[in-house]
Amino acid sequence: MIAAELPNRRTEAWKYSDLRAAFGDGRPAMAGDGDVIERLAAAAGRTDASTVAPGKSDVFVHYLDGEGFQPSAETINVGAGGVYHRILIQTGPELQLNFCRVTLGAGATFRQFVLAEGGKLARIETHVSVEGEGAQIELNGLYMCDAGRHADMTSVIEHKAGAGQTRQLIKGVARKGGRGVFQGKIVVERGAQKTDARQYHHGMLLEDGAEIFAKPELLIHADDVQCAHGNTAGGLDETALFYMRSRGVPEAQARALLIESFLGETLPGWAPPDVLEEIEGRIRTWLGGAA
Amino acid sequence: MIELNNLHVRVGDAEIIKGLTLSVPSGEVHALMGPNGSGKSTLAYALSGRDGYAVTSGEAKLDGADILALAPEQRAAKGLFLSFQYPVEIPGLSAIAFLKAALNAQRAAHGEAPMPAPELLKLLRAKADGLRIDAEMLKRPLNVGFSGGEKKRFEALQMAVLEPRFAILDETDSGLDIDALRIVADNVNALRGPDRSMLVITHYQRLLDYIKPDRVHVLARGRIAASGGPELALELERDGYDKYLRAA
Repeated sequence: MIAAELPNRRTEAWKYSDLRAAFGDGRPAMAGDGDVIERLAAAAGRTDASTVAPGKSDVFVHYLDGEGFQPSAETINVGAGGVYHRILIQTGPELQLNFCRVTLGAGATFRQFVLAEGGKLARIETHVSVEGEGAQIELNGLYMCDAGRHADMTSVIEHKAGAGQTRQLIKGVARKGGRGVFQGKIVVERGAQKTDARQYHHGMLLEDGAEIFAKPELLIHADDVQCAHGNTAGGLDETALFYMRSRGVPEAQARALLIESFLGETLPGWAPPDVLEEIEGRIRTWLGGAA
Repeated sequence: MIELNNLHVRVGDAEIIKGLTLSVPSGEVHALMGPNGSGKSTLAYALSGRDGYAVTSGEAKLDGADILALAPEQRAAKGLFLSFQYPVEIPGLSAIAFLKAALNAQRAAHGEAPMPAPELLKLLRAKADGLRIDAEMLKRPLNVGFSGGEKKRFEALQMAVLEPRFAILDETDSGLDIDALRIVADNVNALRGPDRSMLVITHYQRLLDYIKPDRVHVLARGRIAASGGPELALELERDGYDKYLRAA
């Protein structure tokens, strides 16, 4: 119940997102067990739990768009052969904390897409536990951070059962004074043979003074697996920009198109068309409508 | 028509083009040949307005108007086109979206409204057919996974759609086998016309068997060291660039 319980930069899992500093003198209430965000959400009465029956399918779109301090947490249990699609759109300007704990049965599918515009401190944290054979996971997302906005995408995927497949693609852009964070851990337990996991994070620093921090981790304890990861951070490709301009596309529009194309690779093909349009619209708006 | 007069170009601290004078009248195709490092690509980039390629003195006029003060996109709108030696791959952007952006940006520069989508599709299909390019290629991400030949053919398609007044083809033959070279050369030849001039940059004579130039220029150490008819390319193939490098 005291501020000292909040993690700060000395806490490994929060080294890029200083929650204690974000609260200043505030002392948020915590309740129950679990991770920090789960306890904050429990005290705020903003928790949710859902179960997908074996063989059933669900799509949920969540908006994290409120003012002020908004912690929320949910648990999702996807039974054998079940499918769960989750979309999260975070635009609220202040303290947005979301935690999702997912358990997957045999042959279950969990697909998630997150769009985060960041806030004073926004953290979207997803923990997936693969407990049945042959589960499929897609964990994509994008962040777009303007001045004063901090977006943190943190995930832990634990393959405890074999033959699971993970595809994670996170991309993000930051302008001057904006900060993007990606922390992605994939654990393949000893018994989780034939796991196939790919994790990619690519950040683009659009201006001097933008910050992107990334901590990708693969912990593999099984010997018959395929795992790959890649992580890059850089500026806009000047050659590509020149290529477009040499074809007559004005610089501002060329930049916007290139950034839109860069982010666009994360978009969920499985999203309902109106939601997909909304996501694309948000990207264009963020880019200034030039594209 | 393009006219270059005593052009000097710097890249970083080095002067690469050192007083180059050259003109390509409308309707003509000229070849610019030279050894590696002679400044061929530097000239192409400087004329297109790429950052880092500073024209320190001299003139470049397209149809009588100076282009050196213009941004790359403005030069394109005036009718300048550079076919890249290494066309850029842009994952996430379809070739068709790229062409649409380019064409409509140039139309906007000319005060025209964007081309309606159905008309645009029809135009692209017709131009692709004309160059015997599979229109399916347009749906793929720009240049991603294209073979060397496909990339150069897509450059030709862009030229066909944008209809430039002056096109620079930078080492269009690099990375192509003989069959791909023939196809790309056919595409380029199909785009020759009385209102268009082209400068074909190459260091091998081979390409010029398929794209017959009206004139051949030798670039050595930043200047035109010799100019002549197509026979000059054959002479270079036989004797090499040595004598021009010694003389320059």
